[in-house]
Amino acid sequence: MSVVGRWIHERAPLSGDQLREFTNEPVPYHMKRWWFALGGTPAYLFVVQIVTGILLAVYFQPSSSTAYESVRHITDDVSYGWYFRGLHKWGATLMVAAVILHQMRVYFTGAYRRPREINWMIGMCLLLCTLGLGFTGYSLVFEQLSYWGATVSGNILDNVPVLGGVMKRLLLAGDQYNDQTLPRFFILHAAILPATLALLVFVHIVFIRLHGVTELRFPDEPADAPRHFNFFPDHMATELVMGLVLMIILSVLATVFPVVMGPPADPLTTPEVIKPEWFFYATFRWLKLFGPTFAVLSMGFIVGAMFVWPWIDAALRKLTGREEISVYVGIVASLLLIGLTTWEALVAH
Amino acid sequence: MPDSVQPTPAEQADDSNDLSVNRRTLLASASTLAMAGGLVAGYGTFFAFAGEFLYPEPDPGAWYFVARTADLEAGGSLPFESPQGVMVVIKRDATALGADSGAEHFQALSSVCPHLGCRVHWEPHNNRFFCPCHNGEFDAEGRPTGGPPKAANQHLARYPLKVEEGMLFLRLPTQTVSTPIAQKATDLSAQTSTERGEDVA
Repeated sequence: MSVVGRWIHERAPLSGDQLREFTNEPVPYHMKRWWFALGGTPAYLFVVQIVTGILLAVYFQPSSSTAYESVRHITDDVSYGWYFRGLHKWGATLMVAAVILHQMRVYFTGAYRRPREINWMIGMCLLLCTLGLGFTGYSLVFEQLSYWGATVSGNILDNVPVLGGVMKRLLLAGDQYNDQTLPRFFILHAAILPATLALLVFVHIVFIRLHGVTELRFPDEPADAPRHFNFFPDHMATELVMGLVLMIILSVLATVFPVVMGPPADPLTTPEVIKPEWFFYATFRWLKLFGPTFAVLSMGFIVGAMFVWPWIDAALRKLTGREEISVYVGIVASLLLIGLTTWEALVAH
Repeated sequence: MPDSVQPTPAEQADDSNDLSVNRRTLLASASTLAMAGGLVAGYGTFFAFAGEFLYPEPDPGAWYFVARTADLEAGGSLPFESPQGVMVVIKRDATALGADSGAEHFQALSSVCPHLGCRVHWEPHNNRFFCPCHNGEFDAEGRPTGGPPKAANQHLARYPLKVEEGMLFLRLPTQTVSTPIAQKATDLSAQTSTERGEDVA
């Protein structure tokens, strides 16, 4: 061992064998399919969000009187500001999509079933954190959508029984949107939610390592295919290729569909047509269909049912004797989600 | 009566050991309890302070002078703009006469939708207030006629009013966004600069 090697080993006493053991988690053969590498996609996009978010935070000024102008400054004046803002905006969109797709893959392959129930719940927390980051993100621009989205969300919380009023006041820093509100959204978006997400991702991966990835076999696989392959370097290479492809997609999107500025927030006028980001379309339509209390309670019930779905699924399978019952429920839920989203996308009101 | 049995010196020593162990256990338990209590009290106080720090003060609102009651005729209405830029239309009952009318004869309808807080728009062609966020509808008196507010029977709120010595006051929230004022100030400043620039030129 060289002098430098000895110096490093003395201070970081890790052997090559230990490192190999740490990184070489055996990966099931089915993960050679790209579709099954979706779990790494949101993780990669999260890193992109952290890096671009830090860059944007250098110029962003989180107050209601300066936020809009500072975002405009980033977009129009700062070198490559349009590019980094575009990466951040499109990265958020793709991250939400990737998390939803990953969750759908886990759901339809039954990978959440015993003994992986806790990791499914951690995944649900990751979904909620991602949606929370999306919401607080577009609230920071302080355009019309930001202001009215925050106002509506505060009042949705207000409809939650017992604690709703307190939650609304804590989120908005008062009974309605005021000068103290935007800094709270900034702290949530730039500190609390990312830190929570990072911690949850770590725990999620620890659980995956503890249980191993759910193993699936497909009829078209060669009979002599090995059951596993090495994480490093085989799967690592897959993830690197996906990362490279994602960066290309993000760059193309940021360039071809650059992020523009909407009209600045006007607390006195709600625009004639107002819609949240696409990932809240279904919720928005739901709120139009039912009275506030029912809409809020039913949404809470659906999210609660999703959290404990592994146990509901087990009970349903026992009751009906059908292994594929969750697939039917999943198809109905997916159609409902797609239907409500499309409906909201197609109409003005 | 049987004679009482005297403990042997060895037994006495055992008892003393038991006492010592009991005393030690008691002290250990008490100090553990005190430590746990201290931790709970310490961190509890910290989180209680943090909760109070984060929880906003209630908005007391502010009373604004609107008009002398005598200046607003029965059945008439008056537009009022608050310093925050909120436009409120104050109406007087058609039956209320004279300067001595109480606040109950006036109404100031809020334009904030009671559903989820968006601003309603008055649509003269439909003779209704319409909320673009979730399709809420209200008649001219603020009664719900369609959408989620009708399902929940939510009326447009009315701002509090009071009459003192023949003067009508309106209470509006003060915890709002200062952008409109800032914007007006910026516009004014820009206008002034332009004018000054023209003068110099």
